[in-house]
Amino acid sequence: MAETIASSEIGFSRRWPGRRPSLHLALLRQRAGAWLFLLPALVFFIGYQVYPIIRVIWISFTDYQFLSTKPAHWIWFANYAQALRDPLMWESLWRAALFTIMFLPGAIALPLLLAVLVDRVTNARLATLYRLVLLIPAAIPSTLVFVLWKWMYNFQTGPINHLLVNNLGLFTFRNAPEWLGGTPLTLPSIAIMEVWWGLGYHTIFFLAGLAAIPKDLPEAARIDGANEWQVFWHIIRPRLAPIMMILVVLRFGTAMAVIDEYLIFGGFNRQSPTYTWTMFMYDEAFREGLWRQGFAAAIGMIGAIAMMIVMLMLLRMFRPRD
Amino acid sequence: MSTALEAVPYDTTLARLRRRRPGRNRGAIVRHAVIILFMAIILLPLAWVLIMSVKSLPDAMSGAFWPTQFDFTHYGYVLHNIATLPINLFNSIYVTTSTVIITSICAVLAGYALVHLRPRGGGALVAILLMSLYFPVRVVSLIAVYQIQNFLGLINSTSGLILPYVTLNLAISVLIMRSMFQLVPRELIEAATIDGAGPWRTLWTVGLPMVRNGLVVIFIVNFVTAWGEYLLCMTLTNDQVRRTMPVVLASVEGGLGEWSWPNLAAVYVIVVAPAVIAFCFAQKLFFKGLNEGALKG
Repeated sequence: MAETIASSEIGFSRRWPGRRPSLHLALLRQRAGAWLFLLPALVFFIGYQVYPIIRVIWISFTDYQFLSTKPAHWIWFANYAQALRDPLMWESLWRAALFTIMFLPGAIALPLLLAVLVDRVTNARLATLYRLVLLIPAAIPSTLVFVLWKWMYNFQTGPINHLLVNNLGLFTFRNAPEWLGGTPLTLPSIAIMEVWWGLGYHTIFFLAGLAAIPKDLPEAARIDGANEWQVFWHIIRPRLAPIMMILVVLRFGTAMAVIDEYLIFGGFNRQSPTYTWTMFMYDEAFREGLWRQGFAAAIGMIGAIAMMIVMLMLLRMFRPRD
Repeated sequence: MSTALEAVPYDTTLARLRRRRPGRNRGAIVRHAVIILFMAIILLPLAWVLIMSVKSLPDAMSGAFWPTQFDFTHYGYVLHNIATLPINLFNSIYVTTSTVIITSICAVLAGYALVHLRPRGGGALVAILLMSLYFPVRVVSLIAVYQIQNFLGLINSTSGLILPYVTLNLAISVLIMRSMFQLVPRELIEAATIDGAGPWRTLWTVGLPMVRNGLVVIFIVNFVTAWGEYLLCMTLTNDQVRRTMPVVLASVEGGLGEWSWPNLAAVYVIVVAPAVIAFCFAQKLFFKGLNEGALKG
């Protein structure tokens, strides 16, 4: 920090030797001041993001155990080798991918449909009302979304099973579906909840993109006899591609790294479909044995690297071709 | 995001001509029906919990959506009879307010500096901030954050949560403020500097009033995240009295007694209402600022 300011001072006086001292001083103070302004953000960003990541990489090469009093040893790639030999590592990565596959299509297609529909609402008041309702789920903090849906999916008293058993009569309480708790239905249940949560926010995202498309373009196409599907496919879709790309990549990232939902809905049963690489890491780092945080860090890094590789591939796939 | 929030008027002559054509009406009806179906899907879970909070106990057990008898006493009951509830609520308010204030200060200062003070290495910093948005930092850094908090003696401390909470949205907040300050004309800042105002006064009197809307967005984003944070709170604290309200709510099982379903729902409404109300209120401010900005521009 001090060095940066110091070196910029030297550079400054060499470059402008003939300036008036007062202005020179003002410019100099501005340069130093810039880092002073950045300091609070940097302290937090480095202290709680950059340094922790570096530390996690570092301990992933050691046999560090949190609850052990013995000093840790540098063991190179032994943690990585052990994790990659463990079928659970692959299984847990596959589970995270499975959830992403269940979540992403709905999280993109439904908001897109809704956005195209809402975009064509002509009544200004209705259009504003729709947008207001759309943003309500986005204002609900994450844990409260999970709590709400934990109740919705509740086996005995949840409204979903109540509807299926009492109102529609499709099931009895003997064979009603168990939505949560590590059953095969847990991942799709969480995916539905996530689609609900993102529905409004993603729609608003697409609406922003639709607003940028000149209105006479689809109109002209319709006059020329194009049907709604052709208008969507040839005029709207290509213009929404950049927004779709950002959404796909960002939501791929969040879906692969989900953990809170699994902690609340799934539990630590290693056979559970919710036991993904994030849960594997958490389990090893904070629950099992002497908290093998070195090994857990390696699991976390493998998961993160696997994610980053797919994200780069997605970015390449969606790259504009011109 | 900004433009999408405004209703886009679609009332061109062409559109009016087309609306008179037969078949057009049926399309509009189908469209509105589909939209209303989606709106219902969004609102129904929330309506369910709101109604649950004013159901009488037998109605809550029967599971019917609309109760035969209303009972509004659950709110008073949970506030008076659940001993830890006021503590958990206070924890939530304390942690969230501190997080929002600290993050906003950091983001405003950093955003202003990056655009108008042009520090060396600013471009690299922006690149690193952007990269951190794509990396699962929150999950992967958890182990090291636990170790840091343990080193600082902040395990099981409510105040200690503020430190990692600030960073949850710091990168995106700085980037939002940066793009907001890019809209402030450089000449305006330079004029203030020539008039003898230092960078602090320039920021306070010239810059800040012009980035109000960005500030509102940052308030919302950080409020929503900190209010509902689960992973860090669950990992870094052990006692229920140290935790925030949503985290406690996530760990209780519905049943009888003080955690009967209507009581739970009442707590839920108490916890979710500030977020939704604050959001609607802020949204209005957001529109207002947007229109002002658009008219001036």
